[in-house]
Amino acid sequence: MGAATPTRDRTSGAGGEQMSDWDGQGLPPAAAARMQRFAQDHIATSLLDVRGEVSIGGVGLPPVGEVMGCIVESIGWQGYGGCGAYYGGYGGGYGGGYGGPMQTVTSGAAASYAGYKPYVDALYRGYDTAISRMLAEATTMGADGVVGVSLTSAELGSNNREFVALGTAVRATGSVHAVRPFVTDLGGADVAKLLHAGYVPVSLAYGISVGVRHDDYNTRMQASSWGWNTEISGYTMLVEHVRSDARHQFARRAAAAGAEGAIVSGVTLQVGEIEPAENHRDHIAEATVRGTTLVRFTATAAPRTKALTILPLRRV
Amino acid sequence: MTIEANELGIPEDALRRLSEMRPGQKTSLFTSDLSVNEFLLVREAGFRPLGLVLGSSIYHVGFQMGRWSKNQELDTLSQAMYHARELAMTRMEAEADVLGADGIVGVRLDIEFKEFGSDIAEFIAIGTAVKADEAHATTPEGTTWRNNQNKPFTSDLSGQDFWTLLQAGYAPLGMVMGSCVYHIAHQRFWQAAGNSWQNVEIPQYTEALYDARELAMSRMQAEAEALEAEGIAGVQMLGLAHRWGGHTTEFFAIGTAIRPLRADHTIATPQLVLPLTDS
Repeated sequence: MGAATPTRDRTSGAGGEQMSDWDGQGLPPAAAARMQRFAQDHIATSLLDVRGEVSIGGVGLPPVGEVMGCIVESIGWQGYGGCGAYYGGYGGGYGGGYGGPMQTVTSGAAASYAGYKPYVDALYRGYDTAISRMLAEATTMGADGVVGVSLTSAELGSNNREFVALGTAVRATGSVHAVRPFVTDLGGADVAKLLHAGYVPVSLAYGISVGVRHDDYNTRMQASSWGWNTEISGYTMLVEHVRSDARHQFARRAAAAGAEGAIVSGVTLQVGEIEPAENHRDHIAEATVRGTTLVRFTATAAPRTKALTILPLRRV
Repeated sequence: MTIEANELGIPEDALRRLSEMRPGQKTSLFTSDLSVNEFLLVREAGFRPLGLVLGSSIYHVGFQMGRWSKNQELDTLSQAMYHARELAMTRMEAEADVLGADGIVGVRLDIEFKEFGSDIAEFIAIGTAVKADEAHATTPEGTTWRNNQNKPFTSDLSGQDFWTLLQAGYAPLGMVMGSCVYHIAHQRFWQAAGNSWQNVEIPQYTEALYDARELAMSRMQAEAEALEAEGIAGVQMLGLAHRWGGHTTEFFAIGTAIRPLRADHTIATPQLVLPLTDS
């Protein structure tokens, strides 16, 4: 790792090297010190439950230690926060604008300043950095994979956000090792089942998209209709476009990792209102898709997972 | 029965495969909304996932007032709840069609009322499009896995239930549903006062609940008949209050219409196990 060798006194509880001395490369001093302690005493720690621990050990990948990566970012510039019609006409290059039908502008659109792209880029950078720092720890430990990863972000005051990746590093007992550890949000038991069936996790992928759509005349009429049933086609288009962009980003990142498949663990969507001008509201939506990417491998012997029909003697 | 993992080449072969990977190499990618257990069981049932599919509709649900003392269906609301769900389902099916799917498994149908605007809800259908392996591209009878309307089959059954259903010689045809939004009459003052010291049935309430559920179920059945189904599996009969107050409720029946693939419907006798877990 790029960090200077830490000179931490294990009994004092204070790091010998200060965070302010860190050049931002490799592991932060506190993490480097922890890695050095690990190298000396080899105490295997794990965040897995007993079931997960036993299952992952059963496929020859016992846990070696818990690993973490984090970053705090200041997100000061979210992108041009004005009316959706403006981007629709000019920024997004969609050719919608005031004359034609209104379009949704997503962060994945071609123009670099289209709908909240700086904000979405900041989110990607946060998650990517947290994961790569976690991987740096795992690599130091000689791990072959990190399982049960939780990837979270939390607000720290105004405009500041912390991104944390936390997981359990596992290492093969044999002589064959991965050049780069795999990362997955699946737990020990799920990973063991996948390996038995001939799939190995590759990476934790996520797609994020934010989009904005101008509330045009039609949308306002449909939304304020009182007595009758109607689809609000503008809002439907907004959420469809934003979700579809997030799914596209997810697939693009999964494919870039060289994966053949992905098990999606969550699709989220939030819709909110912005007021770019007086008496005028537009709607924005933020969508995320997250999951573990997979690749097939052919085991020396055919995996013999055959589902066994069992009847558990308990209430379900 | 237990085989040591390393005899099978686990994890060595898996780690070798990871080391061979070249980021950016062209692969055909599938996505799946299933859990690991469901994913592996769907594979074992002979289907491979093609992709996560979803359809959505943001809908303004109209307004209809029930008469205070009258049991009645609020048909404007029934139509809204049905139409919006159908829009979401149809869009999901259209996505699966593009992928060339035989069906969609593990479909979830959710409604979320939005905080902005009044009576605005998002109706969303999400599932995993699947295609049968080449080995059994058609059913044992030689027919296609798609339903009689040449649409991909849909099923809200879990991967586990889907596997069991196929083992037992049935195939899903489509999700069928029926909705009825019903206004249950308030009791007149003298009725309520007269009953306050007695334990009695309130016939008009009983009747209202019967009526409403019967309407929802018969609509679901009509859909199953249109699919020429033998039956409907995994039916849920839900009473959803949504946002209409205590006397207006949506009765919603939903299930998976199925057809037989063969004459006998037995599965291997299950082994009894006692799991060492609480959950």
